[in-house]
Amino acid sequence: MSGKSRRDFLKTSALIGAGVTGLSATAKAGPKNILSEDRMGVLVDTTACVGCRNCEWACKEAHNLPAGNLESYEDRKILETKRRPDHTALTVVNEYSSGKNSNLPVDVKVQCMHCDHPACVSACIVGAFSKHENGSVTWDTDMCIGCRYCMAACPFQIPAFEYDKALNPKIMKCDFCIERTKEGKVPACVSICPVEALTYGSRTDLVKIARDRIKRNPDRYVDHIFGEYEVGGTSWMYLSNKEFAELEFPKLGEKPAPGVSESIQHGIFAYFVPPVSLYALLGGIMWISKRRKELDEEIK
Amino acid sequence: MKKIFAILLVIVCAVAINAQQSPGKDHSKLNITCKTCHTCDVPTKSEPCLVLCPRERMVTVYQKPEQTPELIVMDQISDRYGPVYFSHRIHAQMSNMGGGCEGCHHFNTSGPILKCSNCHESTRKRENVSVPDLKGAYHRQCMDCHREWSHDTGCNSCHQLKKDLKDVKKDNIQKKYAGKQHPVVLEPTKLVYETKSDKGKFVTFYHNDHTKQFGLSCISCHKQESCTKCHDVNRTDKNKNLKVVTKKTFEDQHKNCISCHSKTENCNKCHNDKIIEPFNHAKSTGWALNKYHINLSCTKCHGTKLPYKKVDNRCSGCHQNWNEENFKHSVTGLQLDENHSAFSCEDCHIDKNFAVKPSCNNCHDDYSFPKQKPGKMLKK
Ligand code: SF4
Ligand code: SF4
Ligand code: SF4
Repeated sequence: MSGKSRRDFLKTSALIGAGVTGLSATAKAGPKNILSEDRMGVLVDTTACVGCRNCEWACKEAHNLPAGNLESYEDRKILETKRRPDHTALTVVNEYSSGKNSNLPVDVKVQCMHCDHPACVSACIVGAFSKHENGSVTWDTDMCIGCRYCMAACPFQIPAFEYDKALNPKIMKCDFCIERTKEGKVPACVSICPVEALTYGSRTDLVKIARDRIKRNPDRYVDHIFGEYEVGGTSWMYLSNKEFAELEFPKLGEKPAPGVSESIQHGIFAYFVPPVSLYALLGGIMWISKRRKELDEEIK
Repeated sequence: MKKIFAILLVIVCAVAINAQQSPGKDHSKLNITCKTCHTCDVPTKSEPCLVLCPRERMVTVYQKPEQTPELIVMDQISDRYGPVYFSHRIHAQMSNMGGGCEGCHHFNTSGPILKCSNCHESTRKRENVSVPDLKGAYHRQCMDCHREWSHDTGCNSCHQLKKDLKDVKKDNIQKKYAGKQHPVVLEPTKLVYETKSDKGKFVTFYHNDHTKQFGLSCISCHKQESCTKCHDVNRTDKNKNLKVVTKKTFEDQHKNCISCHSKTENCNKCHNDKIIEPFNHAKSTGWALNKYHINLSCTKCHGTKLPYKKVDNRCSGCHQNWNEENFKHSVTGLQLDENHSAFSCEDCHIDKNFAVKPSCNNCHDDYSFPKQKPGKMLKK
């Protein structure tokens, strides 16, 4: 119940935010932070991933980043060093020594986790980040003021900054291929993966599938779905035959990081709302939530 | 026209996906519980409540490699690449020791062999994502072994780019694999394992004895062998004899041996401070095998069931149909002369005990076998 009312509260504030933005000439669409029941996700099965890095290539191609030719990704030397996603590659694959009951190395694709309660969205003082209905967390180039709070806030160190660009440097990160999914396609990396190590589906289904795989193959997996509960849950989740700490996944609690309420202040700050309207706005929100609660109680 | 074709295709696909193969009328007699395939207690034809094709062993259809297709052309989902020519028969031969048919055909009750596409849809964007799509399923089958031994994931070991396709003719490929066999796997004679056991450092394993004498088939031990055991590109002649350090548990380590040698048997039966001699029937049992017995497999006398049947040294233990009338003494290597062949067995073999030396004292005072012989020795 508490989660639901918080969500309602946020939706309300977003609506009001949008109302206020309507008045402001500079701001565009307001930031969203929607946690839909039907949000999509990806289950990354690292025991199936072969480390071919086709996903890296497809991601670059889909985002107009220099990608080179696909054949050049067959060189496995690059896997000898650990890499992080950056402004030249929104996703990278790293390789680790083999896990239980396997002679094969473990390959791990890394990208934005598309958190259910994204810290980047909370941290962004101008509301340049949004969490959408389909689960994706995206970043709006026009709003960003380059403060890089998102980089500091993200528990997975995902948002990357184009340091090499003097003019208009961008924050870069995986956008869950929102342009492709809008057209009804699956994300580029999911589409190319030869072994379907990346399963794209509704997050609810994916959790069930992941549990089922662990149950049916206890020898193949460690009993942990990374991202099911970490930082309040993530849209991208992982299965592995090795403890996640050994694959350099951060050890995180189940609480979303950090508090969501900040975003309201930030949201207001973003549109340079004068203090008077600010109080009126907060008062409005409080009134609406109170009225809601009363209505809820009346219905009960 | 295109549209109609597309619709037809969709219908065909949908039917293929939903129609899980009927396992035949008699499938309730299969040696599996109903719950392996059905989730409800009373499955009916209209509501069979089937579980998803399980990965567990559910295969009841087996074929000898020779009966299987030599070459399979996989062209259902070619996009960037042309069709893949899969040398099925050689793979089937190789898979004998690596999991057999079900290593790949992991779901096939009875009836004809199911196509992968029966369960694995050919689109990545689909409703049910609990099993991989066709492209994923194919690649998982191939790549897990191939990258294990080649240590790479290059596409061109199986795929040909469409633009290079004109160089590849199906006929040529067919010719390449026609009648091709996986070479016979060479069998080692003696293997010495160096262990850390305080019960004795060395375990000497006579491989040929186990296959030839004790009659074990390859797959009774080599069930889930990885192809890398022979086909690892990193394996050169130089490091062939390198010590392999295994990280197996006690149970895993002894799994193959204790299926015959009881775990409670003295450890020193296998573990020793030195390398031991091969099994010798005369030394171990006190009964040397003659030229007939030496060619028999152990199971012929000792049975196939464990623990092996103890056999005493009376011939009649095995040769139950031998009696005084039909017994030909020459099978022992000694042909009785005319005088002696008239006697009954007990005259020389006191108390019909054939294990001890025969006695001549019934007739001859100072004769003894084998110094004196009641006939002629046949050439051994
Ligand atoms: S494309 Fe698939 S198999 Fe290849 S590296 Fe990416 S996730 Fe792994
Ligand atoms: S992983 Fe980082 S960047 Fe991605 S949604 Fe979570 S907090 Fe934001
Ligand atoms: S979802 Fe899209 S943006 Fe994200 S890693 Fe995959 S291809 Fe790249």
